[in-house]
Amino acid sequence: MVQWLARLHELNPRWLYLATGLLMIVPFVILIPMPAGTPSRATQGLYDAIESCPPDKVVWIDSSWDQGSRAENEAQLGCVVRHLCRRHVRFVVTSVGITPFGPEFAERTIRPIAEEAGYVYGRDWVNTGFVQAPTSTSLALVINGLARDFHSIRPADVHGTPIGDLALMQKVRTIRDIHLIYAITYSPAQEWISFIKGQFGTPVAFGCMSIMAPSYYAFLDSGQLCGVLVGNRGAAQYEALIGRPSLGTRLSMAQSFGNAAIILAALVGNLGLWAARRARSKAP
Amino acid sequence: MTRRIVWTITFIGGLFFLLEFLLPEQAPEWLGGIKNPLTPYLGGVTNFLVVVATMAFLLGPFILLRSHVGNLVRRRQGWLEGLVFVVFLAASLLAAALREEQVRSVLSVLYDALFFGVLMAFFASSMALLAFYLVSAAHRAFRVSSLEAGLMMAAAAIVLLGQVPLGDWLTQGLPKSLQLASVTQWILGVPNTAVQRAVMIGACGGAFVAGFRQWLGLGKGAS
Repeated sequence: MVQWLARLHELNPRWLYLATGLLMIVPFVILIPMPAGTPSRATQGLYDAIESCPPDKVVWIDSSWDQGSRAENEAQLGCVVRHLCRRHVRFVVTSVGITPFGPEFAERTIRPIAEEAGYVYGRDWVNTGFVQAPTSTSLALVINGLARDFHSIRPADVHGTPIGDLALMQKVRTIRDIHLIYAITYSPAQEWISFIKGQFGTPVAFGCMSIMAPSYYAFLDSGQLCGVLVGNRGAAQYEALIGRPSLGTRLSMAQSFGNAAIILAALVGNLGLWAARRARSKAP
Repeated sequence: MTRRIVWTITFIGGLFFLLEFLLPEQAPEWLGGIKNPLTPYLGGVTNFLVVVATMAFLLGPFILLRSHVGNLVRRRQGWLEGLVFVVFLAASLLAAALREEQVRSVLSVLYDALFFGVLMAFFASSMALLAFYLVSAAHRAFRVSSLEAGLMMAAAAIVLLGQVPLGDWLTQGLPKSLQLASVTQWILGVPNTAVQRAVMIGACGGAFVAGFRQWLGLGKGAS
């Protein structure tokens, strides 16, 4: 038995790759029903913030993600946009720093949902495009500039239309017209907290990758963040809250098995090592 | 001389943003109620910053282009990769700059093919490989050789399972406080938060000092 277990230590990694691939593909093919779970405080906080949006205010979404973090950020954007459309809350989309592909991915995610809800571009939502800000300092200053005078930093939208010609943007000039900022990217910058929440008191929420979530719990605890969607789990919980399970729910199922594969691999590796040592010590 | 010019611009820029941020939007009535005199210039100065940042962003492609064109012209090692780079750069620039939105044309097809067909596929493949690397690394490198390593593995396993529906399913029969999701929230909300705060306080102090030194021209290579 020990000899057999010892072979696990030298397991050919190809078997691990095959098992990982299968574990993550199967949940896409076969729908495995699992409990959605109670929404965490972080998810509920964002949901409540959108529910409390007054009709004369808009939500500012900073969608700064691309293919690298699409696996989690896409579902986080989709579920929130669906909620905004359902509540008839208008929204402005930016992509500050991080990636120049941000506006393209945002547009592809938002447009179908917005059109399905009868939202009209320019009247109900606007995509203002990418603003270059490669360092955290410049990011802070651009965020500060947008909050003080949106039109001077973004004179045109992503399609080149002068921002003043868009009906929605005639009502949105400074942070005072914004009810909530929801920043979605791999790891949203803390500058949103210091320059928006700290300076103007406007609520800020984040959508981030699961592995980056530990950095934000301190801000949730202090009330500086009103909510955080943590990976696909957060998106799945949000989809459950709005009663429309979709991408986040499906992806979190695949992620379940991916995470389980990591734990199993660590267990198998350690078990194999223990058995190999034991076999060596018993050898004559 | 060049350094002095850079330092002067840095100092004036830093002073502008600092004063604009610290001065109130409007002075109290007993001080005449004057508005912050720097705020009207904030948009212009921030746009200047965006322009400079964009110029810095362009340096990357220029340096790459110079290196690859050099390889290509002299037929040095890697000239084929250079050719691929130059062709894709030219095609992407052409398609992105000249295509008309909402109009189906050769350029828009080229743009979609390059952006969604090539770039996205490369991105997705390289990111998907991480899952296999992680599993392989967990098997080969994550050794429970001490109590600390054991604690770390236990915490990692709880958090990994507590953030996915599988964790809920595995522990749905247990009391709520013992379910993986609840334990995960406790780990993230209590010990993790304490450590994160300690790290942040230290890092922010360091960032403040580094920023101050840079602003005053005391940083390495500034004088």
